[in-house]
Amino acid sequence: MELALEILPQVLLDGLVLGFMYALIALGYTMVYGVLEFINFAHSEIFVLGAFVGVEVLLWLQDAGHLAVLHPGFVLLLVIVAGMAISGLAAMALERVAYRPLRGSPRLVALISAIGASFFLQDGLRLFESLWRNTFYLNYPTLDVLDQTLPLASNLVVPVKSLLVIATALLSLAGLHFFVNRTRVGAAIRAVAQDPETASLMGIPVNRVIALTFFVGGAMGGLAGVLFGLHYSLVNPYSGFAPGIKAFTAAVLGGIGNIPGAMLGGMVLGLLEAFAGSYLSILTDGAFGAEYKDVFAFVVLIAILIFRPKGLLGETVREGRA
Amino acid sequence: MALLELRDISKRFGGLQALARVSLEVEDGVIASLIGPNGAGKTTLFNTLTGLYQPDDGQIRFQDRSLMGMKPDKITSAGISRTFQNIRLFSHMTVLDNVLVGMHSRVHTGLPEILLRTREFHKREKEALHRAMELIELTGLTGREGEWAHQLSYGEQRRLELARALAAAPKLLLLDEPTAGMNFTEAQSLVALLRELMGRYVQAILLIEHNMRVVMGVSHRVHVLDYGEKIAEGDPDEIRRDPRVIEAYLGSGAWAKHAQS
Amino acid sequence: MAAFGLLTYIAASCWLAFIFPQSVLAFLLVEASFLLLCYVPAPPKVKLFLGALVLLVLLPSLGAINGYYLEIAIQIGIYVALALGLNIVVGFVGLLNLGFVAFFAIGAYLWAIFGSPQANEFIAGGFFPLSPNWFFPFLLLSIAVGALTGALLGLPVLRLRGDYLAIVTLGFAEVVRAVFNNLDKPINFTNGPKGISPITKPPLFFKPWLEFFGWEFSDATLYPMYFYFLVLLVVFMIIIVTRRLEDSRIGRAWKAIREDEMAAAAMGVPVVRMKLLGFAVGASFASAVGVLFAAKQVFINPESFTFMESIGVLAMVILGGMGSIPGAILGAAGVTILNLQLLKGLSLWLNGLRQSGTILTLPLLGSYPLSELPVQFEPAKYERMIFGLILILMMIFRPQGILPPRRDQKR
Repeated sequence: MELALEILPQVLLDGLVLGFMYALIALGYTMVYGVLEFINFAHSEIFVLGAFVGVEVLLWLQDAGHLAVLHPGFVLLLVIVAGMAISGLAAMALERVAYRPLRGSPRLVALISAIGASFFLQDGLRLFESLWRNTFYLNYPTLDVLDQTLPLASNLVVPVKSLLVIATALLSLAGLHFFVNRTRVGAAIRAVAQDPETASLMGIPVNRVIALTFFVGGAMGGLAGVLFGLHYSLVNPYSGFAPGIKAFTAAVLGGIGNIPGAMLGGMVLGLLEAFAGSYLSILTDGAFGAEYKDVFAFVVLIAILIFRPKGLLGETVREGRA
Repeated sequence: MALLELRDISKRFGGLQALARVSLEVEDGVIASLIGPNGAGKTTLFNTLTGLYQPDDGQIRFQDRSLMGMKPDKITSAGISRTFQNIRLFSHMTVLDNVLVGMHSRVHTGLPEILLRTREFHKREKEALHRAMELIELTGLTGREGEWAHQLSYGEQRRLELARALAAAPKLLLLDEPTAGMNFTEAQSLVALLRELMGRYVQAILLIEHNMRVVMGVSHRVHVLDYGEKIAEGDPDEIRRDPRVIEAYLGSGAWAKHAQS
Repeated sequence: MAAFGLLTYIAASCWLAFIFPQSVLAFLLVEASFLLLCYVPAPPKVKLFLGALVLLVLLPSLGAINGYYLEIAIQIGIYVALALGLNIVVGFVGLLNLGFVAFFAIGAYLWAIFGSPQANEFIAGGFFPLSPNWFFPFLLLSIAVGALTGALLGLPVLRLRGDYLAIVTLGFAEVVRAVFNNLDKPINFTNGPKGISPITKPPLFFKPWLEFFGWEFSDATLYPMYFYFLVLLVVFMIIIVTRRLEDSRIGRAWKAIREDEMAAAAMGVPVVRMKLLGFAVGASFASAVGVLFAAKQVFINPESFTFMESIGVLAMVILGGMGSIPGAILGAAGVTILNLQLLKGLSLWLNGLRQSGTILTLPLLGSYPLSELPVQFEPAKYERMIFGLILILMMIFRPQGILPPRRDQKR
């Protein structure tokens, strides 16, 4: 029991980091579901793409000898902006190529295409890195700042990279909230989510709004990817599957289509996972351990879908379409 | 004794009272119509009757059995089948298969019989096929049975829906705007067909209809809904003269024209 | 005339394969004869005869020369069976099941655990491995177990919207895999990621009969042939069952649900019960094939049952045409050949070029020594890309598949 209490702050911190990451990814799922009522299954690869852009930029800086000279803040900013931009653009391109031709088809047709896109992108990344670097498991170069820690208490050592994740995520979530709720473009997104036909009659360019939604969702996913890479260092083209499914779970948990819901769902799931990872083994006396933490997310997903399919905060998806 | 008896049926969708304490009876041997302006709750009543919606309140009895809480397929087995306002055929199935699906509750072959192709299976399939062909002929679709449902013309699709509903061997047939989109002659032949069905294929028909000529021509009994409430009931002549009905339809040119004709 | 042409083609391609037993191309030509059988107009009886000739005589004879052919044929058979099972769920009932491989895994583990010493870990008495004679009872048992798990999964989830259902089935499969992966403690049921081996093979009950006729074969030569015919038999049974179901009130009810669930319910189709049945039938096929797979592989671990396998089978069904039995067969055969033969062949070829130090000279672009081709670039490893491309391209350009279900010309 003492052990359980002793590690509690650390578990909470891990949970928060995970939770913010899931929340960022979940936004992409939930925003797209909001406007198109469709699960963008390839969003997890957009996330991974962000992680790869991040590592490529850092490696490029390192090879050019800039990494040691430039201000770390500037480096981080550069990496994050590059990851967000390229992931956002990739998400837009994906929508244009694989989803737009299928608009109006049955829901499952688009979902199958999205699964195809997900698989294609995984191996596409692998192909690129295999030809480019002859390996597709990439390590983030170390940034000295990130490896420092702040000992807050005897049982809580806060790594700077955790702080970075939390601060960046908070900032961008606030920014997104402002963008969606306080700007004209955000209002257009909300209008399309409510009713695309009426929105189009009101002169809102629906296609551009949808593309923009993909860009914003993709950029958030890309940001999550960069943060993931900075925090856990190792990335490979298949790293997206588990976080993707968990983030989707988070989106459903919060109520799909619901932006604050995605944030809440992400936090809840991140904390749950951290707790499961640390306490399952203590609670069951070692019979079941951290290896079940991935299963945990699925069990939550299945339970939520069966017992409360509208999520914690309720869906904001329009009714009536079959 | 009434074949179908609805008492005080209410149904709400959020803030909208779709049906408010609607009561009506359909007697054996009767063609009854359900009319009312758009959004009066007619289709909601059908959906409630066939188990697609559960009423919030009230009683539904069919042949003196309560239908409350029964699943749609059980209600069909009990003897009520329907067509849909916006045609809902099984598009990528043949005309014949559409009709055979309608017989699902009447053909009782189980998994073992199907897998072993027993004599019983062949006998029942043959009977079902025979009946399906009879219904296809009745609705004038002979020769089209091998085509996919979505290849049929609009009028043919309406008739196929009718054949499919009849395949369930209903006692009470519910038709949701059966003449929608039909011209005068097509509507007339449908009316003739409905009369032919009575007694031979079904015991009673309840139809939702906007074409007043059809309503007044074919119905023994007319029920009028407005804003989810039943405002009138009577034979066609009584309905034509009922001030509340005229009031409800006021401004609707079609009604004024047909009511006087 | 067409029949004669077909026969000539089959004879020619088999002759080629006999002469060049190592040639991938020759074997592909043999496999293509099935495609011709599908498309060339000829009397059904002739087609049936030619198909049986190839499957029962020519292919096994080729396999006797080059065991690799049998291996490929067995793999194709396994995937055909899986695709036919998934086709029931996705193609007939219209439910997207992304976790189909879970049922395959359950069947495989069923036989793997009891047909190997593994079960001794939790059942005392040293009864295990079970004797080969238990193989066939377990094959039957797996049908029941598969159907039961399919129904158990279906029960809570079948009311969900289509896309949610898809994700839940995915989650289910991942849970199943994680359980197999981790259930080596507290009690060792599955031996975890290390997997289970050796798994007992089916009984060679016919060996005395062969010896009676004076034919002596070693077990090592008998088993591949044996598995080939077993898989063929299972696939044949599955096709019969599927066709009988399709052409019955159950099959019609399934398709009606796929087309319009609400209308189907209003026509008297018990929607939930029929969906459950579809789930259970599909699952039972997968589970039965799983038993076969475990016995053939001798060793299994959770790696064989990943999400990618589920998607691979889905790609097969979609390539062939959802709801079409010939389509599922063609899709499974096509994708398996692509993965096992074409991509692997390409990989070997590239490796050869790398080692031989060939220099690729392209006009205008200059020359490129192939020995510098990154070793990580191996076409055989890009199954996902193939699956992905199939799914996207088919959905955009031909959602009904290559061999879409034909209208029934009965009566």
